[in-house]
Amino acid sequence: MKKYIFSAVLLLVFLLLAQGQIRAQGSGATQDIFKQFSDRVVKIEVVETGSAAKASVGSGFYASATGLIVTNYHVVSKIIHTPERYLIDVIDRSGQPSQATVLGVDVVYDLAVLRTGRRPNGYLTFETKPVDQGTRLYSLGHPRDLGLSIVEGTYNGLLKHTLYPKVHFTGSLNPGMSGGPALTQAGAVVGVNVATEGEQISYLVPAERVVALLEKTANTQDAPAKSFLTEVGRQIYANQARYLAGMFSQATPSVTLGPYSLPTRPAEFFRCWADALRRKELPYVAVTHDCSTDDYIFVSSEQSSGIVRFYHQMLSTEKLNPLQFYRLYSNQFQAGNTAVFGNEEEVTPFRCQTRNVRTQTGKLKAVLCARQYVKLPGLYDAAFRVATIGARNVGLVTTLSLSGASFDNVQLLTRRYMENIKWRR
Amino acid sequence: MAPLGYIEILDAKGGVIERVSVDSFPIAIGRAYSNDVILNDPYVCPMHLAVGPDEEGRLIARDLNSVNGLRADVREKRVPFLELHSGSGFLIGHTQLRYCSVDHPLAATVVDRENGKSRLYSPYVAVIAGAAIFLLLCLDAYLSTVERATIATVVTEPLATFAMLLIWSGLWALASRIIVSRFYFPQHVAIACGAVAGFFALTFSSEWLEFFFPFVPVIWIAGLFGSAMVVAALVYGHLKFASALRRSSRFWAALSISAAMAGVSAISDFASRSKFSNVMEFTGTVKPIDASWLPTISIDQYIERSRKLQQDLDTLAQKARATQP
Repeated sequence: MKKYIFSAVLLLVFLLLAQGQIRAQGSGATQDIFKQFSDRVVKIEVVETGSAAKASVGSGFYASATGLIVTNYHVVSKIIHTPERYLIDVIDRSGQPSQATVLGVDVVYDLAVLRTGRRPNGYLTFETKPVDQGTRLYSLGHPRDLGLSIVEGTYNGLLKHTLYPKVHFTGSLNPGMSGGPALTQAGAVVGVNVATEGEQISYLVPAERVVALLEKTANTQDAPAKSFLTEVGRQIYANQARYLAGMFSQATPSVTLGPYSLPTRPAEFFRCWADALRRKELPYVAVTHDCSTDDYIFVSSEQSSGIVRFYHQMLSTEKLNPLQFYRLYSNQFQAGNTAVFGNEEEVTPFRCQTRNVRTQTGKLKAVLCARQYVKLPGLYDAAFRVATIGARNVGLVTTLSLSGASFDNVQLLTRRYMENIKWRR
Repeated sequence: MAPLGYIEILDAKGGVIERVSVDSFPIAIGRAYSNDVILNDPYVCPMHLAVGPDEEGRLIARDLNSVNGLRADVREKRVPFLELHSGSGFLIGHTQLRYCSVDHPLAATVVDRENGKSRLYSPYVAVIAGAAIFLLLCLDAYLSTVERATIATVVTEPLATFAMLLIWSGLWALASRIIVSRFYFPQHVAIACGAVAGFFALTFSSEWLEFFFPFVPVIWIAGLFGSAMVVAALVYGHLKFASALRRSSRFWAALSISAAMAGVSAISDFASRSKFSNVMEFTGTVKPIDASWLPTISIDQYIERSRKLQQDLDTLAQKARATQP
């Protein structure tokens, strides 16, 4: 008996010691990483030249011996749009600011590469091979301009059902940490801090995208920031051409809402939701089906792009007479005249075209509204809305919204969308 | 003794203020009480003018060496005498006069076209029109109700609208009482009901027209010009009972007011269109009809016509770029 008690005590002591060792190792690793790599992380301030005060703050890190600095596009977007009003200061551990120029941007993945005249003491390398889910990561940055901080978190793989690969980082990123690195215990960069949804749900730009941009910009000479606006437009244009080309083609699955057969989830990166409004006091039923992409492209603080959304709403009634029902139906068709992002410098006002259109299965009232990006020629936001005509007590209002698309693609998707709306009479 | 003719005293617009019969010539005209025609005009002398036949039998108006003299009208120069015919005008001091013989030709009698319609303005018409409009308002409220319709939900809004209509009519009736000393409340109610009916007809017809022909901005046109016409008719009708204006004056007054309103509305519309807005407006109505009646275009035509939309946006974008640094 004594022997068992002795063994149990020994085991308990061993376990306690081991747990203490693990704890010591965990906090020690964080300290070590901070000590070892914090001098490679910088604060990036976008300064308004008129007042010499900072307009925004972000983070970045040295990524080459020549002093290339990686950050997010959204951290430095002000200087891309209005270079005459802003400059970029990079502040390293010494606290001395040095002015930086932009060498390259990847607006789709929200990355930018900068350079100062200063040579770093060291730089960070990248881990482009897959990392095991659950791997401990350490994110560095300047949350809310409170000073350089380190945040522990977990690698949870690449997001599924997204248009652009993003690392799901379970850890607390905060504003100001954007552009900072997320490191493995070995100090290799797995991703760049880019966004958070709160509750420890954060996202990183995968390291391979950063490496690709660095390779592209390695030999780039300094270019005026204004020229990057053209590059931003070119990248968004090329991106939309790639992902919109096959959308709503013949292979698009369909969903049935009453007598209507409608397009749904045209690609893996869409998320769809459905609901129905059935209440006793309402003499009609509204069934909705809503699909959208989660990924948007940050263009400026006033403008985002690259979102595709469509929303079906079927209305039906057994109690309203046709005159009453069509008042409701007309109101639903005209509803949602909402203000969307954008100001006069960024976009034109909307212009709309309304016509009665016949398709293979029936007749529609169709409205196409669009506006053009002023600074990024050739790109448009568009909303296309349709209402079916002819039934006495059932109707469908469906809307397709596109942002940052060429007009050719607006026309192509409008056509395919209409062709995908079918119904039984 | 039958008169030979009349001396007419005219107002500035040529309207007759007073007629003085002439039983025999010569006659004297002036400010003095001994005259045949006595004028209350400080610019006229006590013994200003004599009118009578000359040796050749012509009727002559002769200035009696007055201070301000005799003229054919304000544009003519002073003359010592004027030959008068039936209908001849002459001016002494600030008073315009005219001589007309008893056989002076008259304009044809104007047919009073409103005689036959007078019954339309009887109180019964107002009651019938009011009841019809109230029912129309209730019907509109009922058709707009997409929740469970109760009497309260259907009647409340029409009652408020109808009360506004009665207040409006009451104000016009008050104006009538002050200006023409008659209240005319039922008549004003009938006119206001007519205007409400006009607005209903305008809304109804423009919505259906825009449903059939969405490429024509019918609702906008009806909102601007149609409303102006209804307002003109409303003002014209109210002025008939609330003023002593002649028909042509009422017409121009109504037209001016409605044109001013349409102008303000057009300027305001233009200003709001010129102002930048990032709101998109899905215009268009849908109506319960058999789809086979609806004129349509093919998908190809729809896509082709959207090129015009692109051209408009390109023009707007170019303008915006030109104004940027």
